[in-house]
Amino acid sequence: MTARPRATASLRWRVLLALSVAAMLPTVIVGTLTIVRAREDVAREVNHGALAHIRALGAMLDRTLQDAWRTVELAAASWADAPGDPRDTELLLRRVRSNMPIVRSLSILDPDGTLRSGDPVPARLDVGSHSFGGYVGDVEILDGRPVVYLVVQARSRTGELIGVFVAGLDLAFVRKQISEALIDPGARIVVVDGTGALVASSQDTGAAGPVAVQGHRSLAGVDPAVDRALGATIEGTLSANGWVSTYRNLSSYQSRRGVRWAILHQQPERDAYALARKTTRDTLIIGGAALAIALGLGGFFATRLTRPLAQLARHADAIAAGSIDDPPPVRGPGEIGVLGERIDEMARRIAERAALQAALARGDRLASVGVMSAQVAHEINNPLTTVLGYAKLMLEGKPPGHPDREALELIASEADRMKSIVGGLLEYARAHRKGARDVAQAAGAGHCDPAAVLRHTAALLEPQLRRTRTTLALDVTAAAPVAIEAHALQQILVNLGQNAAQAMAEANIEGTLTLAARPAPGGVATLITVTDEGPGVRPEDRNRVFDPFFTTKAAGLGTGLGLAVCKHLVATAGGSIEVGDGPGGRGAEFRVVIPNAAGPT
Amino acid sequence: MPRVRASIVLIATLAAACHRTSAPPAAIRFLHTFNPEETRLFDATMTERGIVVDASLVPFARGRQVIAEILRAGTDCPDLIRIDATWLPELVAGGLLVQVPLALIGHDWSPEAAALAQLHAEWWAAPQAVDGLLVIRDLGPPAVPAPASASLTDLLAAAHAARTAWRRYPLGVRVDGYWFVPWLRAEGGELAPGGFDDAAARAMTRLAALFGDVARPPPSSGLEEPDENQRWANHEIAYWITGPWQFHQLGDRARIAVSPLAGAPRGGQLLVVPRCAKHPDDGWRLADELTSLPVEARFAAQFATVPTRNAALAEAPALSRAAYDALRGATMLPREPVTPLLFDDLNAALRAVIVGDASPEEAVAGVRRSWRRLTRQAAP
Repeated sequence: MTARPRATASLRWRVLLALSVAAMLPTVIVGTLTIVRAREDVAREVNHGALAHIRALGAMLDRTLQDAWRTVELAAASWADAPGDPRDTELLLRRVRSNMPIVRSLSILDPDGTLRSGDPVPARLDVGSHSFGGYVGDVEILDGRPVVYLVVQARSRTGELIGVFVAGLDLAFVRKQISEALIDPGARIVVVDGTGALVASSQDTGAAGPVAVQGHRSLAGVDPAVDRALGATIEGTLSANGWVSTYRNLSSYQSRRGVRWAILHQQPERDAYALARKTTRDTLIIGGAALAIALGLGGFFATRLTRPLAQLARHADAIAAGSIDDPPPVRGPGEIGVLGERIDEMARRIAERAALQAALARGDRLASVGVMSAQVAHEINNPLTTVLGYAKLMLEGKPPGHPDREALELIASEADRMKSIVGGLLEYARAHRKGARDVAQAAGAGHCDPAAVLRHTAALLEPQLRRTRTTLALDVTAAAPVAIEAHALQQILVNLGQNAAQAMAEANIEGTLTLAARPAPGGVATLITVTDEGPGVRPEDRNRVFDPFFTTKAAGLGTGLGLAVCKHLVATAGGSIEVGDGPGGRGAEFRVVIPNAAGPT
Repeated sequence: MPRVRASIVLIATLAAACHRTSAPPAAIRFLHTFNPEETRLFDATMTERGIVVDASLVPFARGRQVIAEILRAGTDCPDLIRIDATWLPELVAGGLLVQVPLALIGHDWSPEAAALAQLHAEWWAAPQAVDGLLVIRDLGPPAVPAPASASLTDLLAAAHAARTAWRRYPLGVRVDGYWFVPWLRAEGGELAPGGFDDAAARAMTRLAALFGDVARPPPSSGLEEPDENQRWANHEIAYWITGPWQFHQLGDRARIAVSPLAGAPRGGQLLVVPRCAKHPDDGWRLADELTSLPVEARFAAQFATVPTRNAALAEAPALSRAAYDALRGATMLPREPVTPLLFDDLNAALRAVIVGDASPEEAVAGVRRSWRRLTRQAAP
C-alpha cells in the first residue's frame, strides 16, 4: 500500500520532467539558433562593413599611386624623346613636383644607376634594365615618414633603356586619409607594405590594437592578421587575440608595378560583436524567463493532472479495502474525469452488489427465521391454546378474591401475551412466504388505491389514537394506484401508526399523527409518510430499526418484528422505506416509496 | 557514482586533449608566387593535411627581384620558396640555396622535371610544375585542324586557313620576349647576350609580320591577357601560343586540343630552400608535400598543370598529359643567371618594332647594347 503514493509522486515528476523537456527543447533550440544566427549575421555585417571600408580606402590609395605612376611614366616618355637638354629636364622635373605634392624626391638615373638629374636616391634601389618596365617598391621610413619609391624606365623610340625615373612618394597622405575615415570608436585601419612594414595607422599615437604599432618596424610575425593579409589571396577576416581583423591584400599579381600592400580594419571583438552579445544576453534572459514560466506551468499542470489520479488511486484503494460508502466524486480534465466517473460508477455498482448480497443474506436469514418461527409457532400455538383455555376455564370457576384467581389471571395474561408473540411470528412467516411468492410471480402482481387504503387505515387506528389522545391527520394528494396489495399497505400503515401512537404515549406527548400520500419526484412512485411528534428515532438506531427483533420498547411491550415485516412488504413491492426526523427535527417520519402500478387500475 | 567518476575522467581527458592540441606547431615559412586561384587551393590543401604554413605571396613580376633581396639580406628568411625555373641559376650562383636531400631526389620525377631542378648536374630544387610554350587550338564547334607539324611555317599556314570573316586574327601570340624565342630559334638564334645578331633581326621581322596579318595588333592598354581570354571565349582564336598556366582560365577544357610548337621554350616552377632558412628540414618537408602524388594530382585536376612526377602524370587529366607530351620537344632557355634579366629590354624592343617605331635592326642593336651593359653589371 505504501508504494502507491510513491508511484503517484513518481508520475508527477515524470509528467513534470516530460513537460519540462518539451518546454526546454524548443526554448534551447530556438535560443541557440537565435544566438548563433545573430552572431553570424553580426559577423557578416561587420565583415562586409569593414571590407567595404577598406576596399574603398584601398582603391583610393591604389588610384593615387597609379595616378602618380602614370604621371611619372608620362614624364619619362616625354624626357626620353629629348634626353639631352638639361633645361628641359629641370623644367620637367619641376612640373612633375608641382603637379604631385606627394612627391618627396624626384630623380633621373642613367641605366647604370648614376644620378643624372634631381635628388639623390638610396643605393639599394634596383634600377637596372631588368626591372620589367619599373615597379613600386616597398616602404622606406625616412625621417620617421613612410616613403615609397616609384621606379619608371625611360626608353627611347627603339625601346632602348636610356634612363630611369625614381620618384619618392611621401605616404603621409595615406595616414591622413585613413585617419579621416569614419570608423567605430576603438577600431583602427592599418596599411602595411609587402614586408609588413607599417605604412600608416589611424591610431598611430595609441597603443590599442592587437599590437602597438609604435615601435614596430614590421608587423609581420607580430600581428597574425598582418601575416594572414600578406599571405592572402585577396581578402578575408581573422579573429585573433580578442580582435577582429578584416584585411585586403592590395598586391597586384603579375602587375609590372608590383605593388605589395595590405590594408587592415581591426576592431576589438567586444565592440565588433556588441550587438551579437546584446542579442545573446536578451535571448538568454527571455529564454530563461520563458523556461521558468514553462516549468511553472508544467508543475501546475503536472499537479493538476496527477491530483485526480492520486484521488483515483486512493479511491481504488478504498474500494479494494471494502470502504465503498458514499465515495467523493473525482473530477478531472478530459479522460481523467471520465475515468473518475467510471470508477465512481464502478464503486456504486460494487456497493449496490454488496448491498444486494447483504440483502440476500439477510433475506435468507429472515426467511430461515420465518420458517423456524412458523414451525415453532405452530408447535407452540396448540399447547398454548390449551393452557390459555384451561386457565380461562379455571378462572370462570373462581369467584373474585379467590386465592388462586391471581395466579390463574397471571397464567392467562402471560399465555395471551405468548399467543400474541406467536401470532407475530406466524404473521412474519406468512409475509415472507407471500413475498417469496410475489417475487416468483414478478413484481406488480397486485395494486391498490393509496388514498383509499390511507382513509381505511385511519378509520382502523382512530379508536386506539383516541385512547392515547393522539390527533390523526390525513394529507392525501396522490391519485395513482401503487403496486402493492391493499392489505399489505394497510398492514404497513397500521404498524407504523401503532408504533407512532405508542411512542407518543410513552413520552406522554399528545401530538398529531399524520398519514400522507403524494406523488414522488419523477412521477413513477408514490411517497407515503407516517409522521409523529414523539421522541423520534436516534440516528444510531435508524439503520437497525428494520432488523428483526430489534426494539426500543420496554421489555415485553414489543416483539421487534413489526418494522421488519413492514420493510419486507415494502421491499417485496419494489419500494423503499427509511426513517428520519420529522418536520422541524421534531418526532419521527417514516417515508415509504411504492412504485406506481403500470397500466390502468 | 561510477557515472559521475566516468564523466569527470572523460571531461578531464577531453580538456587535456584540447590543451595538447591547442599548442600550435611551428609554422613553416613559405614565400610563393601562386596566382590567386592556386593560393586558395594551396591554403585548403595545407589545412586539410594539417600543415601549418606561414605563407606570403610575392607578385610574379617582382618575384625574382624581391626574393633575391630577401635572401641577400638574410633576415626574415623563409623556409621554402617557389620560384620560376629561370631564376634558379642566379640564386645558385649567389650561393643562396641549399641542395636537395637525397630522399627527395629519389622520387619518380619526369625527365623534364628532373632537368629543371638540376644545374650543373646537381639538384637544387624540387620541381613543382612543368610549363612552357605550346599551341592550343579550338575544337569548336567548328573544330580547327591541327597544324601539319610543330613548325612555325605549318602553324602559320593553318592560321591562314582558319581565317574567316568573323575570325580575322586566328593566331594568338603575345608581344613578349618569351614568345619571341621560337621565332629566334627558327632563325638559328638563342636567347643569350652573345647570340643576338642578324638571326634576331630576321626573327623580329617575321614575328612583326604576323601582327595585322593573322595575329591581332597588341591592345593599346598593354594588357593582353584579358583580351586574349575574351577572344578565345568568342572562338576568335583558332591557334593560341600559350602555356599550361592559361588552362584554368579557359573554362570548357573539352574545347582545347594541344599541339607542340617547334623551338618553344620549356620551363617550370621549382621549390627551393634558401641557405638562410631557419628550418630547412621543414622547408623540404613542405616541398615533399607539395610534390606528393595527391597534391600534384589535385593541382593537375583543378588547373590542368603538368605534374612533375610520373605517378602523378599517369593520374593527371588528359589535358595535362597532352601538355606534357607537347612540351617534351621544347627546350629550356639558357641556364645562365642573366637569362631572366634579358626580357626587359627585349620586350620593349619587340613592342617598338611591332608598333612601327623602330626597324628590327635598330631594335636589335639597342637590345645588344642593353645586354652588354647588363652583362657588365651582372659580372662580379
